[in-house]
Order: sequence, then C-alpha cells, then structure tokens
Amino acid sequence: MIPLELNILLASTMFTIGLYGLATQKNGVKLMMCIELMLNSANINLVAFSAYLPNVNGQVFALFSIALAAAEAGVGFAILIALYRLYGTIDLDNINAMRW
Amino acid sequence: MYADYAYLIVGLPVLAFVLCLFVGWHLPRGGGFLTALATFGALVISLGIFSEIYPDKIIHQSMPWFANFNVGILIDPLALVMLLMVTFVVTLIHTYANGYMNGDPGAARYFAEAALFTASMLGLIYADNLLQLFIFWELVGLCSYLLIGFWYRKPSAAAAAKKAFLTTRVGDVLFLTGIILLYNNMASLNLALKPGEYLLQFPVIYAHLAEIPPAQLTLIALGLLGGAVGKSGQFPLHVWLPDAMEGPTTVSAMIHAATMVTAGVYLVARMFPLFYAAPHGLTAVAAVGAFTALFAATMGLTAFDIKRVLAFSTVSQLGFMMAGLGIGAAVGTMAVGVAMFHLIGHSFFKALLFLGAGSVIHAVNTNDMREMGGVGKYMKWTMYTMLIGSLSLAGFPFFTGFFSKDEIIVIAYEYGVLINFLPYIFLVLAAVLTAIYTFRMWFSVFTGKERSNYGKHESPMIMIGPLVILAVFAFGFGFAAQSDFYSYLDSNFEHYDVNFEELSVIGGHVLAGEHGATEAATGEHAPAAEGEHGAEEAHAEPWYIQILPIIIAIGGILTAGLFYWDKIKKFDPSQVTGDNDPIRKMLLKGYYQHEILTGWFAEGVVYGTALICNTIDIKLVDGWLNWLSAWVMGFAQNIRKVQSGVVQNYVTALVLGIVVLVVVISLAKEVGLA
Repeated sequence: MIPLELNILLASTMFTIGLYGLATQKNGVKLMMCIELMLNSANINLVAFSAYLPNVNGQVFALFSIALAAAEAGVGFAILIALYRLYGTIDLDNINAMRW
Repeated sequence: MYADYAYLIVGLPVLAFVLCLFVGWHLPRGGGFLTALATFGALVISLGIFSEIYPDKIIHQSMPWFANFNVGILIDPLALVMLLMVTFVVTLIHTYANGYMNGDPGAARYFAEAALFTASMLGLIYADNLLQLFIFWELVGLCSYLLIGFWYRKPSAAAAAKKAFLTTRVGDVLFLTGIILLYNNMASLNLALKPGEYLLQFPVIYAHLAEIPPAQLTLIALGLLGGAVGKSGQFPLHVWLPDAMEGPTTVSAMIHAATMVTAGVYLVARMFPLFYAAPHGLTAVAAVGAFTALFAATMGLTAFDIKRVLAFSTVSQLGFMMAGLGIGAAVGTMAVGVAMFHLIGHSFFKALLFLGAGSVIHAVNTNDMREMGGVGKYMKWTMYTMLIGSLSLAGFPFFTGFFSKDEIIVIAYEYGVLINFLPYIFLVLAAVLTAIYTFRMWFSVFTGKERSNYGKHESPMIMIGPLVILAVFAFGFGFAAQSDFYSYLDSNFEHYDVNFEELSVIGGHVLAGEHGATEAATGEHAPAAEGEHGAEEAHAEPWYIQILPIIIAIGGILTAGLFYWDKIKKFDPSQVTGDNDPIRKMLLKGYYQHEILTGWFAEGVVYGTALICNTIDIKLVDGWLNWLSAWVMGFAQNIRKVQSGVVQNYVTALVLGIVVLVVVISLAKEVGLA
C-alpha cells in the first residue's frame, strides 16, 4: 500500500501546478486544464483519505466530483467557444469588456 | 331631538361637497341647488336646536379620538348665534350664487368648494376643543384660497389667492404656537380629568385658566390673537383681504364679509376668559381692533373698485368687533355680547352690500365705480336694498348697524373713562369715515349721470330674492333682537365653571367686578341687575355720548352727499384734493403697504435673509456633504483599478488572501486567541 504521505504529496504538487498555471497562463483552454488539475488533486485527496481511514464516503464524493467536473468542463468550453466567436480569440487579456 | 342630528350641520354640506365634486357637472347649474339645500338643511337643524335649548341649555357631545384629544360638538349661546347666522346668510348666498354663477364653466367646482367651505365654517363654530377648531380653521383657510383663486387662469386672482394663503398662514402659525403653549401649560397642571374630559376642551380650559401662570397666559393670548388677526384681516395681516376680492362676488360676500373673516372675532370671543385673564391680552385686542377700524376706513375712502370699498369696510368693521371685545377689559363679559351683536348684524348688511354689488357688477360688467353712475334708474331693487344695507352700515338710527356699532362706541367711552380714551377716539373717527365712504359708494354708483355705456338691466329674481330677505334683516334685526341678544350672550359663560372675578385679578383689570367700578367711575348709578346690563348700562353715559353716533351717521352721509350726490353737490372731490395731493396718494396706495411689505420687507429683508441662508446652505450644509461625496468618489476612482479584468490577478489575490488567513488563524491558535 502506498503511504498516505505520498498521496498527499502528489495531490499538493498537482494543486500547486494547477494554481501556478491559473496565475500565469492567458489561454482559456490552458486555464480550463489547470482548473481540472486542481480539481483532480482534490479527488486524489478524497480517495487517499478514504482508503486510509477506511471510509467509503470519500470515494463516493470523488465520483460526484468527477461528474461535476465533467459538467463544469462542458459549460466552461461552451463559454470559451462563445467568446471565440465574439472576439476571435480566447486570449483572456483581450477579453476585458467587464473591466473598469 | 334635533340635538341628536347636530352632526348633520356639518354632515350635509360635506355630502353636498362630495356630490358636487363628482357628479356636479352632470347636474343643471353645477349642482348648486344641492349646496343650497344642504345649507338650508343645516339651517333647519340649527333652528330646531335653537328652539330646544333657548334660553338656558347647552349641547355638549363628545367622543374620544386620540389618547389626549376628542372630537365633540359644543353648542352654547355663542356657537348657536353663529350657527344660525352662518347657515342663514350662506343659504341665501348659495341661492343667489345659483343665479350669479349660472353659465360659468367651473360652476360645479365653485359649488363643491362653497359646500366644503360651509362645512368647515360650521365645524369651526361648534367644535368643542381647540384642536378641532384649528383643523376646521385651516380647512376654512384652504377653501378661501381655492375660492379666491377660482378664476385661476387670471394671474391677479392666482396671486391674490397665494397672498391670502401665505398671509393667513403667518397668523395660523402663531395660533398653533398658542395652542401648543396652552396644551403644555394645561398638561403641566396635572389635572385629575374626569372621563370624557380632555385638556383642550373649552370647558376644561375655562375651568383651569386661573392656575396657569399669568406670563404664560399673555403669551398664549398673543398667539391666539395672531391667529385671529390673520383670519379676520386685522392690521398688520389685513393686506390679503382687499386683494381677495378677485374671487366671484358671492365668494366675497360669503367668505370675506359675512362668515369666514368673522372666525377670528369668534375665536377671541370663544377664548374670552383667557384673554380676560391674560394681563394685556384684551389691551392688545382693543389696540389692534381700534387701530384697524380707523386705518381701513381711511383706505376705504379712496378706493375706486366697488368691491374694494366694501372689503376695506369689512376690515374696518371687523376692527370694531375686535375693539368691542378688547373693551371687555372695562365691562367684562358684556363685551362678548356687544361684539357678537355687531358681528351678526354686520354679516347681514355686509352680505347684502356684497350681493348688491355683485348684482350691479353682473349687469354693468365692471368693478370700477368711475364707470358706473345712475345705475339706480335700471336696478330699482338693487338700489333700494343696497340703500338699506348702506344706511345700516353707516349706523343710521334704527337700522341694525346703529344698534350694534354704536353700542361698541358707547362702551368704548366707558373704557375711555376707566382706562384709555384712544380706542374711543379711533372708533368715533372710524364711524364718521364709515358713513362717508359707504355713501360715497352708494351715491356714485346709483345716482348721477351714466359715466360709461354699461349693461342696463335688473338681475334675475333668484338674485333679487336673497337681497330682499337680507335687507329685511339688515333693517330690522338690530331693533328686534337687541335686548334679548345681549342677555342671551351674557349667559354664555354662566354655563361653565369660570370665575371672572378671579380672572380679572390675574389680568390686573381696573374693575374688581363687572359693574362696581363702572358706576364709581362714571359717578352715576346704573342698575346692576345681572343679565340685563346691556341696555341699562348704556344709559349711564352722558347724553351727548348717546347722541354722538346719530350725529356721526347723519353728518357722514350728508358729507358724502355734498361731494357725490348730484342733487346737493357742493364740492368736486377732484378740486378739494388734486391728483398729486400726498394724502390722497397715500390713501390710494393703501399707505404704501404694498411698497413696504413687498418692496422693502419681502424683497429686502426676507429676500436678503434668504440669500444669506442660501449661501450658508450651499457653502456649509451642502458643502461638507459635497466634500464627503467628492472624497468617496476620488477614493473609489483609485480603488477601482483593482478590478483589472485580468483573471490571473484575481487568482493571485485570492490565493494570497487565503494564505494570509491561514497564517493569521494559525498564529492566533498558537497564542491561544481562537
């Protein structure tokens, strides 16, 4: 069995990569990917603790979370496509109509 | 039985008001017959009540309203004579108005407003507490405003309405101040009130006057006097009354001669014990009244507008009534009877004169007496009824005005013997002028040559009828009612728990009682029987004082005749005083009141003060608010840069925020704060 610490280390690494990407990237698709990374790091945590305790609830939640992520990705990409049609780009620096 | 329907005295006109307002224009003549009928109903109920309670009962009905206030009906002799007079005169005027307003597109509005006016005036009269009286008082003021501005498309009418409203408002504020002061003083007495008794009810006020500090009483009295001065057009708040003639003539007759303007006099009569108890209270009333009587009479001499002559005459006669009340300082409650007698008599002959003037204007189509002359040839009825009214106003022997006005002059003499002769002198001069200006008007309208080409026809019978009825009263009322009236009104305050001897000590009056000092001062013995001193005491005066009013009246009429009646004309007015004569100019300009009040006071003092206040308002009050909002806006200008629209910045801020929170919370946990 893989020790809990390694699981947490993996999850936090993934989370940090996702966060870094979110803070630095401009491309909308890349941002979506970063968000997915962060979400999945949370899933890893859920599964890891579920196996560690042991308590099946965590794995159930992970399943929910995956389903939710799928829906979120669907909505997110739909928005990106709409933005592309409007602006001809998905570079978020150029999409600033709501700015002051 | 009629007493149970006392509320209908106000209720019927209110009903007529609602009907005329909403369905008036579907009815013939704007529904004027409804207003006339409603007022007639009120007259019938008033007469019924009169037959029930005369001579020694009163009606007092009351129901709770708020914790400290009630609504109620109080019909005592004072209120009853007013109710009868108002319902009677106003019924006639409404009947007349059915003819006069016929064909006016706003007739429905006129009759609705007139009905509302009637209701509020009647409500004012039989209110049993000061608050209720004040509410109706304001309603009456409102109706006055609406009716003066009835022809609101005419700029002068709109301006006159505004002037009336604002001027009386000055008085009303004083009145309200007086009521509040009175209420506070009554409340601070901590009275143990019986159920059904309230602080502002007249009987309660009367009973506890002596316990209020005299200085406070004077303040209250001056406040109430302020209200009365505003409503009754006394100096210096009289300026609105002559301008109020812009309304239809029926309005002038109804509101500005017979009924509404008497509300001020009625208020002083109603609160007479208070004025009596207040040191200087009655002195102020007498001073205002006597001065106004003379002041307005002089202006009446030069006016060319027939209605303005009558308006100045009204102001002057109201001054007589006020002076009559003020003279109560020397003769006690008898003054109420004398003043009220003049009030009632005046309302008959002044309504008659106004309606007659309306009849003339209706035919001639001008207000200017310089364009009339010789109207009598074509309007016999109007001429003779107006002659009766004029004789009555001038105080010709055995007409109503002779009994009422001259009684005031006679008791003013008593006041003079005891206290001060100034009111007497003022009133005598005013009476001379009254006779002169009244007949100047009558002669120049009805006699002589036609000075312009005017409409030559008599008015319809619906207008002549009320004139004739009023003429009967203007002639006979004084003679018929004289002695009973005084004794009935004298009994007014006997229904209440009020001790005039105690009050006269507080007020510092010369008299200990009502009669003792009068006899001592005049050195003659007057029969002091309670209740009938009205007629008796008059005989205590020297004969020349008794005769003087008759000489005044006849002399005044003859003087006017010498100037204006072509049969005995000796002088030409324009030769006696040239056009540039300073006195004539001053009178014509109304003592430059317009210049002083509008030019100096309104545009100089008030406008100047307003400018200063405006500057303070803009620089200081608005200033710091503007500064604050400018600061907030500047701050927001800077801080809104945070909304960069760059998602990455938001993410960074979010993460940093979480980090800070985590650090702070863990640190707090470390040191044991959380």
